[in-house]
Formats: sequence, C-alpha cells, structure tokens
Amino acid sequence: MGGLQKKKYESGSATNYISRNKARKKLSLSLADFRRLCILKGIYPHEPKHKKKVNKGSTAQKTFYLLKDIRFLLHEPIVGKFREYKIFVRKLRKAYGKGEWGGVEKLRENKPAYKLDHIVKERYPTFVDALRDVDDALSMCFLFSTFARTGKCHVETIQLCRRLSVEWMNYIVASRSLRKIFLSIKGIYYQAEVLGQTITWLVPYQFAHDHPTDVDYRVMATFTEFYTTLLGFVNFRLYQTLNLVYPPKLDGKGETDHLMQSLAAFHWVLFFSLQPQDDMEKMEAREKAQQEQDRQKKLFEGLKFFLNREVPRESLAFVLRCFGAQVSWDKSLCIGSTYDVTDETVTHHIVDRPSLDKQYMNRYYIQPQWVYDSVNAKMLLPVEDYFLGVTLPPHLSPFVEEKDGDYVPPERLKLLALQRGERPEQDEEEDEEEDEEEEEDDDDDNDDGEEEEEEAEEEVKLKNMEEKRTQGKVRVTPGKAKQENRQRLEQEEKAEEKRLAIMMMKKKDKYLYDKIMFGKKRKVREANKMAAKRKALDEASKSDRKKKLKK
Amino acid sequence: NRSARTFLYPASSPVGNMAAARRHRLVAASQPGFLPLKADLDGSGQTTGRRKRVNKNKKKNWNKYSDIQDVEEFLDDVRLQERAAGGLIADKPDDSLFFVDTGNQKSVPEPGGVGKKGRNSKPLRIDLILQPDSRIAPPKDVLAHQRPNAKKERRIAQKAEKLAAMGVLPRRQKLLRRPPAAPSVKEKPVTSKDPERNFYDLWSAGGPETADLYYLEQTKKKLVKRPEKLNEKPSVLPAVEVIAPGGSYNPDFFSHQALLLEAHEVEVQKLKAEERLQRKLAINKADVATEMSTFKEQIEGLVEEEEEPNPEAEQVADAVDESVGSAAQREKKTEKQRKKEKAERMKELQKKAERKMIDSRQQLFKLRSISADVKEMAQRTRRRRVQRKARQEAQKSLPRRLGKLKFQAPDLDIQLSDEIPGSLRTLKPEGSILKDRFKSLQKRNLIEPRERAKFKRKHKLKYVEKRAFREIK
Repeated sequence: MGGLQKKKYESGSATNYISRNKARKKLSLSLADFRRLCILKGIYPHEPKHKKKVNKGSTAQKTFYLLKDIRFLLHEPIVGKFREYKIFVRKLRKAYGKGEWGGVEKLRENKPAYKLDHIVKERYPTFVDALRDVDDALSMCFLFSTFARTGKCHVETIQLCRRLSVEWMNYIVASRSLRKIFLSIKGIYYQAEVLGQTITWLVPYQFAHDHPTDVDYRVMATFTEFYTTLLGFVNFRLYQTLNLVYPPKLDGKGETDHLMQSLAAFHWVLFFSLQPQDDMEKMEAREKAQQEQDRQKKLFEGLKFFLNREVPRESLAFVLRCFGAQVSWDKSLCIGSTYDVTDETVTHHIVDRPSLDKQYMNRYYIQPQWVYDSVNAKMLLPVEDYFLGVTLPPHLSPFVEEKDGDYVPPERLKLLALQRGERPEQDEEEDEEEDEEEEEDDDDDNDDGEEEEEEAEEEVKLKNMEEKRTQGKVRVTPGKAKQENRQRLEQEEKAEEKRLAIMMMKKKDKYLYDKIMFGKKRKVREANKMAAKRKALDEASKSDRKKKLKK
Repeated sequence: NRSARTFLYPASSPVGNMAAARRHRLVAASQPGFLPLKADLDGSGQTTGRRKRVNKNKKKNWNKYSDIQDVEEFLDDVRLQERAAGGLIADKPDDSLFFVDTGNQKSVPEPGGVGKKGRNSKPLRIDLILQPDSRIAPPKDVLAHQRPNAKKERRIAQKAEKLAAMGVLPRRQKLLRRPPAAPSVKEKPVTSKDPERNFYDLWSAGGPETADLYYLEQTKKKLVKRPEKLNEKPSVLPAVEVIAPGGSYNPDFFSHQALLLEAHEVEVQKLKAEERLQRKLAINKADVATEMSTFKEQIEGLVEEEEEPNPEAEQVADAVDESVGSAAQREKKTEKQRKKEKAERMKELQKKAERKMIDSRQQLFKLRSISADVKEMAQRTRRRRVQRKARQEAQKSLPRRLGKLKFQAPDLDIQLSDEIPGSLRTLKPEGSILKDRFKSLQKRNLIEPRERAKFKRKHKLKYVEKRAFREIK
C-alpha cells in the first residue's frame, strides 16, 4: 500500500532498546571491552516490560540496553583509550614475535593509560552520593587486599586496595564512628556512621582461601578498578573534614618506609594539617561537640589491652582503638607494639586458648568476644562470662531489630536489662555506669538547664557513693527508686488512657481491634512456647553436665 | 644529433627494473597476437584475445597503463655513455674513438713504477676500488666561489665584538656551556591502578562546568550530560546484606535452628522437584504393550465377527439409514414452513422484548442486591489491585532476567551444629566472599549471569594411529 502506513517495530519500545551485540558493534569494541566500559560507566542492562515487542516478535532471551544509554556511551573519551590499547597489544605482540627487543621496550614505555576521575565525578555529582555507594566499594577493597600476591590478578591492585582499606580504618579510628560489629561464619560485618550515612561493610577473615572457579575475575577486577578510584577520593574528602593530611602521615614517627604497616597498627595519632587561625570559633564548636561525646565513644577509654598471638590482631586493634583503648601485642607479630606482655599496667589480656600458663595478677584474661559484645551492647559487659575456658554466651547479631511479640533470646533480654542498669548484684559495673552517667550529666547540665531535681538526685548519689566507698556495703540508692516510680506512674497513665480509648470505640472498630489483638497474642504465645522449650533444653543440659561431673 | 641512438643494453639500475619490466610485459602482452612464454595449458585463447579497455584520460591510469620503457632505455643509455666515456659518443671527435691500424709496433713503456726488488708492482686492489670510476666531473662547489666582500666581513666582525663585549655568547659557545642534559626521566602517565597515585578533592575542584558555555562548545570541551535515568539504582536491595543471626560464629540456639530450617527447606524443594520430574516421566505398568495386546491389535478386523456384535451392528446401520433418509427429505422447504418459522421468530423476539421491559422495571426493586453486587465487584478489583501492587513490589527486589541464563541463588552459608566452633580460633570460615560479592552484583541487576565460555574447536581433531600401533592387531 502507500508509504505512510505504520509498520511494526518501527516505533515505541522496539526502538528504545538495543541488543548487546548491536550496541557493541555500534561502539566498535570487543565484548570484553564493552563489558568493562559498561561497568565503569555504570550502565546496566534492562529487562523490557514487553519482551516480545522489543525483540520484534521473538521470545528468545536476549540482553537489552537502553538506546539512549548507548548513545551516551559514544561520547566517552576512554573508548578511544580502549582502542589504543588494542592497537598497543597488537604492536607489542608483533615486536615480540619478531624479536625486536628495543621496540618492545619503547612500546612498553609508551603504554596507553587512562584515568577514571571524570567518570567518578559524573556518576556521583555530590560527595553524599558517593558516600551512599561506598559500602560496596569498601567490601570489594577489603576483599582484594586479602588476596595472595601470586600475580593472578595485578599486584598493584592488591597494594592499592590494601592502602585504601588501611586509610579508611584510620579514618574510622580518628573519627570514632564505628557502631556495630558482627562476627559471622563468612567474615566480620562492621557498621559505622559517617557524616550521617550508615555504612556497612564486610571484611573476610585473614585465613587463606582458595578461590572459586565460577567467578569472573575480569568483571571483579573492573569493579575494583572503579571502586578504588571512588574510595580514594572519598578518603581524601573525609580526611579533609577531620582536618587531617592526606595521604596520611604519622605524628612523631620518623621512618616512612613501613608506613603502611605503621598505619595498620592504629597506634599513633595521625598528623593534623595546620589549622588557620581565624577558625577559633570553629575550634570552640568542635571542642564542645567533642565534649558532648556519647558514653559509647569513650567505652574503652583508660583501659590497656594486650593481645595474645592467636587472636585476630588487626580486627581487635581496630575495634579497640576506635573506642579509645590502648592496645599492644607481641613484638614478633608486627611493628607497632608499644608495651610488652610483662607490663604491669595492662588491665585486660585477650587470649583465645583454653588455658594459659603464666597469669599475672592485675589483669583480666578474657576471650575476644567480650570486646565485640561490649561494643554491640554499648557498655562494658561483666567479664566473668568471658573468662578462659568458660562457655561463651552466644554472639548475637546487632543488626536484628526485634518487633514486639517476636521471640527474644534470653541473652538479649539479659543484655537489655543490663543496659537499663537493673542488675543489683554487679556493683562495680553499676558504679562505673554511675560515674559515667554523672560525667555525662555534669556535661549536660551546662547545656540543658532542665531538671533541678536531677541535680539534687546527683548530690544524693554522690553522698551515697562516698558512703559506700567508706563502708563497702551493698545498698540500693534512693535516686534509682525515684526514677522507677516516675516510670511506673507514666506507664499507668498511658494504660488508663488506652483502656478509655478502647471503651469508646465503635462496634465495628472494636471487632477489628479484637482480631488484631488476637493475632498479636498468638505471636506472644508462640514466643512463650519457644522460651519454655529453651528452658527445658537448658535444664536438660544442666542435668547432663551434672551427670558428667558425677561420673 | 641525439636522435641517432646507439643502444647499448646495460644492466639497468635495479630500482626501476621491476616496474619497468612489469610495464613492458603488460604492454607486450596487450599487443594482439603476442604469444606469452608460459602458454596456458588449457589453451584459453579467449582470455589472451580479450584486451581490457582502459580510460587513459584518468590520472590513476597514467602510471598504470602508459609505457615509457623506450624513453627510460634511452636515458639509461645516455647516462652510461656519460659515465663510461665522459660524454655522448656521438659528440666525440672521430680521433678519440677510432684509430687507423698501421701495424707499427711502438714500444709502449710499461706502466707502473719500479717497486720493490725492481719488479713491477701492480696497484693495490683497494686503491683501484677507491678510484672514481665515472668520467663525470664532480659538481662545482658554488659556496666556495661565494666570498663576502670586505665591508660585509668587517661589519660582521664588529657586531661579534659588540656582542662579546655585552656578554652575549655566540650560539656555539652557548651550546657548549650548556650543562649535559640529564637522562630524561619520562613521566609515567598516571594510570588508575598505580598504588602510589595521588587523590585530590574531586567535588570542590572547579570543572569545565564553571567555564563559559559558548567557549566550551567552540573548543569541543563541553561534557555530554548524563541521562537522568542512569542515576537510579537498578535494584532496591542494599549493597551489603547482613547474614541472619543464625550465621554468627557462636549463634544462639533458636536462630541457628531457624537458619538450618531455611536451608532444609531449600533442599526439600530440590528433592520435590526431582521427585515431580520422576513422577511425570513414570509410565504405568499396565500401559506397557504386551505380546497379547499387540497381537490383538494386529488381527483386529481380520477375523469374522461372532453372534454378539451383530445386533449392535444392525442398530448402528439403522441409525445411519435414518439420518440419510432425513437428509434426503429435507431438500426443499415449503412456503408454509417458512412462514411458520418467521412467525416463531417474531414471537421469540417479542417475548424477549417484553421480558426485557419487565426486567428493567423489576430492577428497581432489586436495587439492594444490585448495589451489593457492585460493592462486591469493587472490593474484588480493589483486592486484586492491592495484590498486583504487592506482587510488583516483590518483583522489584527479585533479580531481573537479563540474559540467557537465569539467576541462580547462592547456597546459604551455614555450619551444622557439630561444626560450630567453640572459639574464634577454631572457626573455619564458610563460603567465599568473592562468590558472595559476585552473586550480589548479579542479584542487584548490575551484571547479567553468564557461564564460562567453552572452548570450541573450529576444526575437528584428527586421530591417526601410529604405524607401530596399526601393526599390532
């Protein structure tokens, strides 16, 4: 018929997508280069809604890219670099084949190289965007830094990843932003809060692993290439916010040849860049902010740790330094050990063996899980559960948020109780808590100017503390009791209001409400069942143990 | 007169030899009736007869199809004469070329001085080689004739004195005094993989965006804008998914059991799928053909029917007859029949219309049930809409089908109850983080699942037995 009739597959979704091979030919790149380019530029294949339309009637499974994305790729300058590299490889191979070693040298010197800075800037126009994507980058960098330097993947990449990961950890130590840690069978999960963003990353254990064969190394290497660039820039910016010099230098440390290792020791304070003098107000504000630090950030402040040989040194040193502790280890392990095992002022000695021969008097010998659990609980847990040879309490995941009615393991309940401070048997911890609370309150009082009752209570508390110190007896402090009263009153008020509201509901609404409550109660019933089971299990294990002992 | 050419056929210079020879051959071969040395065995006279018609007015063809062999030969000859004889032989006087042989034997003194021991010493070969062998005189050195006049020379000298007094050195002295160039350290281009590379503040540095738009356009430095759609993440899943609490190295009992249950469910599903497959492929023992059944099939219809099947056969025959008969009678409809049918049809239509009227009136009384129906339909559509939305949301978190292969979910990393370590020291890490990251990238639709490319042989391998093996029978 006439030429103005509409033909099939000439407009609409069929023209918005392009298949992978067509895209590759449009860019005149090989498949490997095309994949690398897509990964670097952040261009992903799309699944069209109506595959049959896009595939012009066929239902074969194909990979489709948006045509606009591919057209955008045509303007990318590193496409030219890929083509140059291809030509370079061809020339090099020819020179090798002909035995022209001079030519080979010359070609090698002029190897084409490209940089990815403009791509990073284009994909993440602001720094906050980059921070959001940095946890993927971190996991990849940490993973690559644990690879063996056999040459299977470029050794430079591994070195760069190691450097970046150490820099990142130093930043976290300096800014004290670590929040949660979870030891899993896969690796260690860390969560930190950086400039308002929650960043989670996974670090593998430092044991040798064989690599699976069905992973595409080229793809991972390309991702790492991009991520290392991103992480480098992010590190620079973060160091700038803390007013630190980048690349990091150590304050008061002369030798720089073992810089990486020294940095990895997290010992010395990083070198601060010169602050301009008209920043006095900013400095004051910063000091105030530092004073208002959480109890959490100074969790291990003042404590001295010594790590035995068999514990994961880097992870523990990182965590402990993040919270203000002093750490050291045996000299033969790594550089950066400040004090020896014989030092008298060591308060905690972290050991992972069933027993230790020589034990010193003033220190606690504990297993490494104490550190991680204390960090997750945001307080110093009782040390007795973590002594050598004691069966450890289970390591709970801090990434789990329990909703009401769900089963809560008893260990977690104990933890919550501890956090609320309702453990009258453990006095020393209470004292410590009270001390820290007092410090905090003292700080807060200057800023809030609220309850005078609290001040009065604190005076009472102080008095009681002094009495206790002189007498050394156990007593329940009145201040605590008052707090409980107020809480209970509030709760009672709330309960009454709730009852009133329920009474005033309409019949229909009441029907719905009953249904909901029935469902909730069912959950609670199940949780109770689980708790009962657990109790039975505990008792059974206890009786087993008793029998064993008797034997 | 240079037209009289004396041809000497020299060994012409090798440079133009090949091209000239080729041209010669071409031209010679293009002449009609030319018999080439290597006659074709087939004797295809058609190809030799067919001469290619060529447009000689094109520049491309001037070089290809024009033959200047004769001119080249002449010029070569002229050059040879000049080299060997010092000029064109035709221009030389007769005396230098020819002499009249009168037969007188003049004693010609022997050339060569008396050398050692009085014997004639031949000149050394190397001296002979170094002698010029061409009679052409070397070109004049024009510059040697050019001498600047005294005034110019004086002026040059004065200027040099003045400059020297000022301290300006002539160029040659300057170059000599220059420090020896340090071995040029070539700046290695900074690659993105260099472990010592420097980073800078990327987000505050003023980029090309700050410059003038027109300037950027004219200098072709304007960066192309990134399409908005590329800034959206392809999946809502987080980059790093934390393992369930049962995956802790020292897990709480119930969470560990929950994780084991999940893994157990996965295995159960796999088993079920296998069983389902087996069930579908299973054949009923009774359906298997036995010898008896195949035999019966083969003899069907061949053996004569007995008594019982007969009445059935008759009934069947009657029915067939009846239908045949009615078909034969139904040939023409009479007017009466047609009118009757029409009347019936009208009645039907009327009845329907009446019924419709009554229904529409009665619907007024059915309002309540109608509204109930409508409400139910609306509820149904609302429910379906909610379900569809929920399904779409669930779809968003699933990995999309991006290529030929489907996404294979990775195995759950678990450790059985007896594998759980008591302490961090005895922990044996489970699973590989490399694989976990790879699968996570696939799950988030960043890359498509692919399998390792197989090695395909272009040509089939040939296996040949060695003679020794062949002899062994």
